[in-house]
Amino acid sequence: MNTLPAKEASTVLSGGGRSIEQLLTSISASRLTTFQQCRMKFMFRYVLGVAKPKSAALHVGSSVHGVLKFWNMARWKNQQPTLKQLHDVYAAQWNDQQERQPVNWGDEQEEEKKTGWRLLETYFRESPIPPDEKPEAVEVNVEADLNQHGLPKLVGILDLVRHGGQIVDFKSSGKTPDPAQVAHLLNTQTTAYSILYRETTGRKESSVALHHLVKTKNPKLVVTVLEPAADNQITRLFRVMESYVKGLQRADWVPSPGMQCASCEFFNECRHHC
Amino acid sequence: MAVLLQITYQKKLGLPNFSSHSCSVSVQVEVADLSQVAEENNRLYRLLQASVDEEIQKVGFMPDATSYGMNNGNGHQEQRQQPQNDAGISEKQLDLINRVIRENNISKTEVDNMAVSMFGGGVRTLNRMQGSQLIDELFEKYPRRNGNGNGNGRGNYQRQPTRV
Repeated sequence: MNTLPAKEASTVLSGGGRSIEQLLTSISASRLTTFQQCRMKFMFRYVLGVAKPKSAALHVGSSVHGVLKFWNMARWKNQQPTLKQLHDVYAAQWNDQQERQPVNWGDEQEEEKKTGWRLLETYFRESPIPPDEKPEAVEVNVEADLNQHGLPKLVGILDLVRHGGQIVDFKSSGKTPDPAQVAHLLNTQTTAYSILYRETTGRKESSVALHHLVKTKNPKLVVTVLEPAADNQITRLFRVMESYVKGLQRADWVPSPGMQCASCEFFNECRHHC
Repeated sequence: MAVLLQITYQKKLGLPNFSSHSCSVSVQVEVADLSQVAEENNRLYRLLQASVDEEIQKVGFMPDATSYGMNNGNGHQEQRQQPQNDAGISEKQLDLINRVIRENNISKTEVDNMAVSMFGGGVRTLNRMQGSQLIDELFEKYPRRNGNGNGNGRGNYQRQPTRV
């Protein structure tokens, strides 16, 4: 199962609901994806704002994400941090995360911490990004006004835009992703990123790359490069956004029971919800 | 006893593309005694102000913001691409940048230099994505003092879009 990227963590864990009006002001890929997965899950997470303890996997993902941001910014400033420096950043990220949102580790913290660092070591060894390549953008907030399409504005954060216009999204994952499945499952997210890039730069992305850091016994990096979003993908995203708007306006929180329920953090709430 | 009265009137106005110009006029006159200072000062002030106001309306040379100062051999030119359509930096972003400048008492030149260093072009040449990145950098560099934000100052400005 994919771990939520760090940028989405605050939404999940902050608690406190939001009004439908607020949720219709702007739409992010993560909200859309949750809405597509299960509307009841969306309701628990965003409308009711049910707070859940941070998971170990999310903690690892957030810490790894923080180091990758540091590494990308360093390249922008023509710096090449040593592995030791990167490890120090990782340790600081880990502690910072733990201070802000403590995780109940039991006795697994050290093992999880090592797992995260092994992922990073693998990434720095195998990354297709040259150590001296300057990025176009790093973890940048972007928004696209879709008013002309009768839709709320689309907002998001691009993890990395490489020189030449390749959008990169970092993900940590428990299993090796299948390229065809990934392209389909993450279509909403990657198309949203394409629109955001085009709207804020006036240029078409050269491609979208998903960098999966896989937490197998021997960690590995799987890079999936997708073509620029096609017109039919964009149309599809707009349809999803229309559905989101109408669904929220109708307070349509119909559940979508399935295999995914086993790993849903709102499983108990859902079972007892009338 | 003769009294020397010296007065300077100066006005500085902002111009597009992070430019500004100023005009300053000074005079020194001699008045017969101290009793004439107030009246003479009042007269001179009006005179100098009118003079400066007339002159400062002549803007003179204004550089082309899309090319001026870009060929300075800083090695970043290859990254500068003009935003197409309406993808240029937004007024809202410029307002936010100006607010950071005001609140931290920094110069627009410094911010322009940051933009050139990061993107190979001045603030006005940036696209919206670059504008957003520059704002992030400004928040990192100039966190607001006594703020109630999240430690990097970002929460103290009405940053759009926010993390969702």
